Amino acid sequence: MSDRKLPRLLQTPAVVLLLIWMLVPLSLTLYFSFIRYVLNNLRRPEWTTPSFSNWRGFGNYEFVLNSKDFLFAIQNSLLIVGSILFLTVILGVLIAVMINRAFPGQGIVRVLLISPFFVMPAVNAVLWINMILDPVLGLQGLAVNGINDLIASLQGAPGIGWFFSLWPDVAPISFRATQTSAYAVIIMVTWQWTPFAVLIFMTSLQSEDQQQKEAAVLDGAGALSQFRFLTLPHLARPIAIVVMIQAIFHLSLYAEIEIVSRGNGNKNLPYLIGEFANNNIGAASATGIFAVILANIVAIFLLRMIGKTLME
Amino acid sequence: MGRIVLENVTKSFGDAQVIPPLDLAIEDGEFAVFVGPSGCGKSTLLRLIAGLEETTSGKIQIDGEDATQVPPSKRGLAMVFQSYALYPHMTVRKNIAFPLRMAKMDQAEIDKKVEGAAKILNLVDYLEQKPGQLSGGQRQRVAIGRAIVREPAAFLFDEPLSNLDAALRVGMRLEISELHNRLNTTMIYVTHDQVEAMTMADKIVVLRAGNIEQVGSPLDLYHTPRNVFVAGFIGSPKMNIIDGPEAEKLGATSIGFRPEHTDVSTTEGKWKGRVGVAEHLGSDTFIHVHDTGLADMITVRIAGDIAVTHGDDIYLTPQMDKLHKFGADGLRMA
Repeated sequence: MSDRKLPRLLQTPAVVLLLIWMLVPLSLTLYFSFIRYVLNNLRRPEWTTPSFSNWRGFGNYEFVLNSKDFLFAIQNSLLIVGSILFLTVILGVLIAVMINRAFPGQGIVRVLLISPFFVMPAVNAVLWINMILDPVLGLQGLAVNGINDLIASLQGAPGIGWFFSLWPDVAPISFRATQTSAYAVIIMVTWQWTPFAVLIFMTSLQSEDQQQKEAAVLDGAGALSQFRFLTLPHLARPIAIVVMIQAIFHLSLYAEIEIVSRGNGNKNLPYLIGEFANNNIGAASATGIFAVILANIVAIFLLRMIGKTLME
Repeated sequence: MGRIVLENVTKSFGDAQVIPPLDLAIEDGEFAVFVGPSGCGKSTLLRLIAGLEETTSGKIQIDGEDATQVPPSKRGLAMVFQSYALYPHMTVRKNIAFPLRMAKMDQAEIDKKVEGAAKILNLVDYLEQKPGQLSGGQRQRVAIGRAIVREPAAFLFDEPLSNLDAALRVGMRLEISELHNRLNTTMIYVTHDQVEAMTMADKIVVLRAGNIEQVGSPLDLYHTPRNVFVAGFIGSPKMNIIDGPEAEKLGATSIGFRPEHTDVSTTEGKWKGRVGVAEHLGSDTFIHVHDTGLADMITVRIAGDIAVTHGDDIYLTPQMDKLHKFGADGLRMA
């Protein structure tokens, strides 16, 4: 065994660094979640320094569970992550299959397709909510106005006017309103992350065995059958990778939610943590632990589902 | 039924014509082998028949009907690929059933046919495994099974054995030949290995640069090669081909004699040479003879054994009745 000593020794710095990197924040979070720890409290100034004498047991967890936003935040986190995953995977597969053939301007199209991924999340959110989704000044407002004007002008037209006078005015959707702000976040993040899915699926498609496809052609498989029985199973693993990576990223969405509605009607767990962390570090830490648990449940659930449906 | 006729078929990739106008008929139930060195267009020809490549001009008939514009799936042909082209995420059962499933066949019928094919090919124990868990030979059998269940008009094999090791190759060769005897379906088989061609074929088509050099039964090709290329390509070890004065004496540009049609003596004979390498196979001995003044090296084959070692003098006498004479154009002289 002594000949293993040198390799072990050489690995030690990396392992120790990783342990510190992971364990210190996690154990600090755990520690804070079990004590009373606030940033500012004039009546009980001793709570402003973390210490075991402020032990609260599961009190912070109880407090978080009973707070009115907690269940909503979990629901909303799942809605946002689930919708984004669903949309990016479907769009990603379709676009990847579409551009995985030779056509003029292929290089430019590919670069353009990837470019949303290089936009910073906060910039992305500002662009979308102000320039595209805004009900008055954004593209949405302009489009809605245009449609309304068109209908109004057609209502006076002879012959078909009666038909268009039955149409109501189209009302623009306010994406800052509480119910719809989650959809705004879903739309903008889907736009930003579809290129990531396309990129991964495209590389995978390029490694698809062409002789298998020829065999399938001879076996009488049409384009749809080839997609269903060859391409989709071939993409099962990259889809799993895309889903995993995106689930990790989107469970911690923050910037978009902050910019779209400042959390009005649209909170997820990280945003809730942020709100607690304005003062109550204990509750924020407890929420953080809940977030870790949620992330693990989501990951296990998603992987099982993908494994079953695609790997056959 | 599976009579396949090619009329004036050509194929070009861009400006490069890889198959010049070519005519060929393969009879129903025949085992035809396309053989030639790599890059001779034999695989392209097979893919033209399968419909995986479009013919540039000319006609392909299958069973008397023009199939030139018929899509590959409607030609009623089944193909076995060099890389097996199995569907990696499906079990053996699903792989074999795939063409039937695509034909929307009844599930009970599919099961029956898959079981039948599995029995013929000794795959019954492997039906629930995935291709990745099988050996090369088993994978090749699955690919053949997938072809059999369709009951095609003809089977197309594209170098199916070249990914197998030598021992397995001999075994699979026999299995495919037996399969042909049992099914009596037309088979077209592409290989670069003349041993496979000689052992399996009813009809060999020798190709070079897209041109058909000769069509005939294995023994036709062996006994009366039409030109120098076929003479050198068919037979193992290769025929010895000699140019120069010795050939001119017989009124030919070059003469050829097979290693096994040469008498060898350590004392007397027509040509004297020096033993280079002697390969003792037990049943036969191949001797590579140098310094004959005829060619760089002459190979001779002796049944049984002969006591010679490197550097010994040796005398060779070709059997005159089995000598092949070729003219200046490379063609056989009557």
